[in-house]
Parts: sequence; C-alpha cells; structure tokens
Amino acid sequence: MWKKYRLEVIAVVAILCFCGIFLYTSSLMGDAEYAGSDTLGASRVAELAGVSEEDFQPLVPQWEPPSAEIESGLFALQAAVGGIIVGWVFGYWRGQKNRST
Amino acid sequence: MHIMEGFLPPEWAVFWWVLALPCLGFGIFQLRKILAADREALPLLGVTGGFIFILSSLKLPSVTGSCSHPTGTGLSSVCFGPWVTSVICAIVLLFQSLFLAHGGLSVLGANIISMGVVGPLAGWTIYRALRDTRVNMFFTVFLACAIADLCTYVVTSLELALAYPAEVGGVASSFVLFLGIFAITQVPLAIVEGVVLALVFKYIVQLKPEILVRLKVFPEARIRAAAGDA
Repeated sequence: MWKKYRLEVIAVVAILCFCGIFLYTSSLMGDAEYAGSDTLGASRVAELAGVSEEDFQPLVPQWEPPSAEIESGLFALQAAVGGIIVGWVFGYWRGQKNRST
Repeated sequence: MHIMEGFLPPEWAVFWWVLALPCLGFGIFQLRKILAADREALPLLGVTGGFIFILSSLKLPSVTGSCSHPTGTGLSSVCFGPWVTSVICAIVLLFQSLFLAHGGLSVLGANIISMGVVGPLAGWTIYRALRDTRVNMFFTVFLACAIADLCTYVVTSLELALAYPAEVGGVASSFVLFLGIFAITQVPLAIVEGVVLALVFKYIVQLKPEILVRLKVFPEARIRAAAGDA
C-alpha cells in the first residue's frame, strides 16, 4: 500500500508543508504585500538606473487588462486550457488501455 | 515572474531575441521530426505542454512575502528535450504578453531564453546525467523539474543584472540583489513543482508506458518495471 501510493503521499505532504509555511510566515510578516516578484524586480531596476518607475515605458505598445478582475479571468482561462488538454489526453490514454486489455 | 515590458534597454532586448530565435527554429524543426516519426507523441506533448499552461498561470505566495509562479517546463524537457520545450514556452509567453501585460513583446526574447531555453536545458542536463544511473526515475524527474524552475529565475536575475550593473560591485552585486528577489522566492515553489510533476510522470508511466519507451525517455526495463508494480 505504501509502495503503491508513495509519490501521492509525498506530494500531499509537500503541498501541505507549502501551505503551512505560507500561513506561518504570513502571520509573522504582517506587512508583507505578496506583490509579484516582477513588481519588486522592477522597482529595484528603477533604483539601480536612478530613475522613477514611471520612466519605463513599454518599447512595444502593449494592451493591458483594464482591471485585476479581467486579468485574473484571463489567467484562469490559461489554466483552464491547460487543464482541458491534460484531462482529455489522460482520458484518451485510459480509454486506449481499457480497450486493449 | 518574467521581466516586464520596457524594463530592458533596447540593445539587450534585441540581444536576447537574437539568441532566442535560433533556439525556437531548432525546436520547431525537432518538433516536426518527432511528430512525423510518431503521431502518438502528440498526446504526450499535449500533457507536458498543458502543465506548462497550468503551472505558469498559478501565482503562488512564498516565504519572502512576494509571489511568483512555477514554470512547469521540466516534464516537457525530460520527455522531448529542451528545444521543443522552448517552442511551447514561447506560445505561453506570447499569450501572457499579448493579453495579460505579463512580460512583453520586446522582452519576449529574454523571457524565452530564461524560461524556455536555459531552464529546460539545465533540467535536461540533470536528467541526462542521471538517466542511466541507478537513481530512482521519479526522483530524477523531480530534480530535473525543480532545477529547471530555479534556473529560469537565476537567468532572469542575470539578464537584469547584465542590463543594470550596480554602481558599486557592478554586475555581480546587482546579480546577487536580483537573485534575492527572484531565486529565493522560487525555492519553495520549485520543490513543490518538482514533486507534482514527478507524480504526473508516474501517471504517464502507468497509462502510456509505450510512448515513453519509444521516445527512449528512460531505459525500457525500468519503465516496464515501474508500470508493472503500479
């Protein structure tokens, strides 16, 4: 039993640890904003270049999602596309396997 | 996270594009060859690519009090090699720069190099080094995925450091600075990503060992043995 589900157990434990560490560190760091590391990197770049962040204009004009809601929707769409493909293929393989045995 | 649009000077943006294009070209060539030889490789490509889509859209909080996302490139790199992975990454990155203002068209070259070329190449190197040894197959996949993820952000840091050397200490000191932002945030994410993708690899081994044998991902006897006792 252990041998059969060893990887599953390790994966669940790793994910639980990850959540636990997050809860613990976020309770210690009350002021943490959980901004994206790219946002932090960008402000560091501005510091190093000695100019303000607003001075960095896109070199190529870029469409920006009008709000965080729309952005999160598009991210969800990206994950959904991936999820559909993965689920479809695993189903296809399972079907093939059942037919051959 | 990727470099944001406008945050690389034009000369560096062009430089990374020039490096990225031949990698993509070679990736497309390899992809056509693999698919022409074996149509059954297409579903596997779908699974490994699908996980890049899923994982690179999940922004997760980390111990540094900031967020980043896994890359998911390791699995594709193990199954198809780094160059095919570059092509899938380019598609994901293009989607993110066109619709999410996440990365951008001028920095796409730099982002393809970090997420699609050097990261996967590092993971693939680990995998090739361990493939024919006695090291557990799933542990090899775990290591390859975690290293691919981590190296992506080491390269992102390097790309920014080269473009913005610090006044004191130059490239090296700003490299350390950016590593602190990108790479340390990434460590826990890389570990979780490695574990999850190793689990996915186990399901592929159980459901479709033939395709892994045909692509010579691992020696046949080991794939059969792992598929047998699962």
